[in-house]
Amino acid sequence: MPGPPKPDTTTDPALVAAYRSGDERAAAELVRRHAGPLGRFLYSLGAEREDLDDLIQETLFRAFRRVESWRGGASFRSWLLAIGSNLLRDQVRKRRGKLVSLEDREIADGADPHADLAAVETGDRVREGLARLPRLQREVFILRAQEGSDYGEIAAVLGTTPGAARVHYHHAVKRLKELVR
Amino acid sequence: MSECGWLSDRIPAVALGRAEWTQQEVQHLSECRACQQEWEVVRAASRLGESLVPAADPEATAASVLHRLRRNREAGRRRRGAWGFAGFAAAAAVVAALWTGGADRQLDRGPEGASVVAGQLAIPLPELEILQPAELDSVLQMLDEPSAAAASADEPDLRDLNSDELERVLDSWEG
Ligand SMILES: [Zn+2]
Repeated sequence: MPGPPKPDTTTDPALVAAYRSGDERAAAELVRRHAGPLGRFLYSLGAEREDLDDLIQETLFRAFRRVESWRGGASFRSWLLAIGSNLLRDQVRKRRGKLVSLEDREIADGADPHADLAAVETGDRVREGLARLPRLQREVFILRAQEGSDYGEIAAVLGTTPGAARVHYHHAVKRLKELVR
Repeated sequence: MSECGWLSDRIPAVALGRAEWTQQEVQHLSECRACQQEWEVVRAASRLGESLVPAADPEATAASVLHRLRRNREAGRRRRGAWGFAGFAAAAAVVAALWTGGADRQLDRGPEGASVVAGQLAIPLPELEILQPAELDSVLQMLDEPSAAAASADEPDLRDLNSDELERVLDSWEG
């Protein structure tokens, strides 16, 4: 009797090479591996729940369409997350002006923002706090907290230096701690 | 490095379950409010969106992405086929222009013969070497369809577009 399907232990670079040689199953396996973390990453960066599926699909589509531009300097996952983050940034830029900021919405609701903040779970508070951070601080922090990436990898993906990435991380932690306190 | 700095570097790995605290670190955490807060924040961030994962169906996503990629490749092949024809037509036009120019020169015996040839082509041939692929495409398009050149004059310069706008242009080419 066949057991449960074995997890595919092929490495990402091998799967990318297989896809480039025309093996679509390799792309499907890469999607299975990375779609979930990509969604969590985008959500943590502030993507709306209802936009997530579209953002994930668009990110994956763009990545595979130009997969030859992944040189392996950073992991495939990090490269994918960077594409997703750029896409989200474009979307936010496009919508800017149409949307009310988080702070404005709270005031418009007539609620006490401090009371609201205390009432939500730490995770929600962290997510709200992340939305108020400068982009690089937010991206560095999430790459480190969710992916466990080291500063060298983060720097390669975000186009900064490891030292600067470390500083961004510590600024982010400091500001988030103030919020959760 | 201070003990807080050391712990700060270790927090993400422990929060992700890739490492465990040592006795000494546990001791420090129990006494240091700053590290406790950092642990709380990073651990919460490491779990953000966990509830979303079952909602996303990777199989459906993979099928949909692969379908779009296939369509994209087919569109690319069609486009390349069209450009191949345009390239052939352009090459034919160049040969014809050179041949006509040569005939003119023979008739005129004037020194301006070469510039007459260049004038007919609108762009001196050696400069094609320095053009970007998109610019080369435009040249090919002008050679292939003179009437389309005027219509495309209002199109934005691709170098001025952001990634999203570029995608839209590509999509419009793909149909
Ligand atoms: Zn400490």
